[in-house]
Amino acid sequence: MVVSREETNKQFFLDRYHMLGHRLTGDEKTPQAIRVNTIKTSDAEIMETLTSLGVKLTRVPYLDQGYVAEESGFSLGASIEYLLGLYSLQESASQFAAQTLAPNAGDTVLDMCAAPGGKTTQIAAYMGNRGLLYAVDADRRRVYALENNLERCGVENGLVYHGDVTSLDLEIRFSKVLLDAPCSGNYVTDPGWFRKRSIEDVLRNAETQRRLLSAAVRHLEPGGTLLYATCSLEPEENELNMEWLLSNHEVTLEEIDGPGEKGLTEVFGQRLGEEISKCHRFWPDMTHTQGFFLAKVVMR
Amino acid sequence: MRLLKRFLEQVGSRMDPEVLSIDSKRFTLNQELERQQFSRRGLVYAGTYLGRNRRLFEPGSPLLQMLAAEEDTSKVHLGRDAAWLFVCGRDVFEENIRRVEGVLELGRHYLVMFDGRCIGYGRYETSAGIRVIRNLFDLGDFLRREGSD
Repeated sequence: MVVSREETNKQFFLDRYHMLGHRLTGDEKTPQAIRVNTIKTSDAEIMETLTSLGVKLTRVPYLDQGYVAEESGFSLGASIEYLLGLYSLQESASQFAAQTLAPNAGDTVLDMCAAPGGKTTQIAAYMGNRGLLYAVDADRRRVYALENNLERCGVENGLVYHGDVTSLDLEIRFSKVLLDAPCSGNYVTDPGWFRKRSIEDVLRNAETQRRLLSAAVRHLEPGGTLLYATCSLEPEENELNMEWLLSNHEVTLEEIDGPGEKGLTEVFGQRLGEEISKCHRFWPDMTHTQGFFLAKVVMR
Repeated sequence: MRLLKRFLEQVGSRMDPEVLSIDSKRFTLNQELERQQFSRRGLVYAGTYLGRNRRLFEPGSPLLQMLAAEEDTSKVHLGRDAAWLFVCGRDVFEENIRRVEGVLELGRHYLVMFDGRCIGYGRYETSAGIRVIRNLFDLGDFLRREGSD
């Protein structure tokens, strides 16, 4: 019997997840979710409008403005209300990142790898369009999408830069930084994931993430908060990077409360510091979302 | 600034915003951003997007919503079906206009409204003997510009 590379890869990664405590099938899905844009509307208004159009919405209990769209007779990404920026399509676990950062009007926030802008617009909403919100991304094509999202959602407190955030001189320190790092992603939101990914990709991404983490810490003011997030299930991009960060920078971790599990303190036989358990993981079999990792880092 | 000013006059606005230009794009800054010293290197977007200069001025959604809040601007209000056709790039037949704010006059520009919000603008004219609001810009542009940016 010939086993395809995809099948071999799938088994390799599923075995790893099993070793980390989760028997995943590789076929887990996440339902479509929307986030109400409080810059422009209210939950009540959007619920009433979309329900009248036949959309069945269920509130996600752990999200401030998140709803799962269980039934819809039309594409939610092409309605008049979407074009008006009254809501965005944003996966549930992804919404939890900006919510955990909890920015407010008094903050100066940096969104480091901001495109296409789902979390940037969410941050602006938490800030009530006040304060200062810097958004940076290195990919010009994705920056166009970021600009479009800021325009559509009515963001007024943002400055968008195109460039490498590790070398961009923004001449300012931030009270809050979001690093939603480029990562290996996960199979829940990418059907071809097992065909495309290898452990070498994971290790390469982990290197890039450490470079970005160092830049993130450099941009923080003392006492400032960094929210590190990936949509990767791989510990090399998550807990092992946090272990590295704690060893190399003057930072501590803050506990994150939410659905899912604490960060792993034992990874493939390697024992990590207890503080790593303050990180947070969304496992697809537990949370019915994509795989997601969050760490709340505070600058000493 | 000429194209922006002309556009504002066409829709009956007296707005005279302080404008920040980044290439062909036009922005205005709130007080917090105005006070802030920020680097211009690599900057592609700042504050409230007003629109961009093309052959005509192409208004951004935030500017359209600001204009919608002004009492003096001329507006036509549509129901959902006509609004949907409009954001798909179609003109508005006169019989599909539910309400007019201002006087409906040939050659005049109107903000096109749905449910209290602005979804674009157009000019009232005669096309093949039929009176329509000719679509000059609509928010369906967000979908059309994906892939063309």
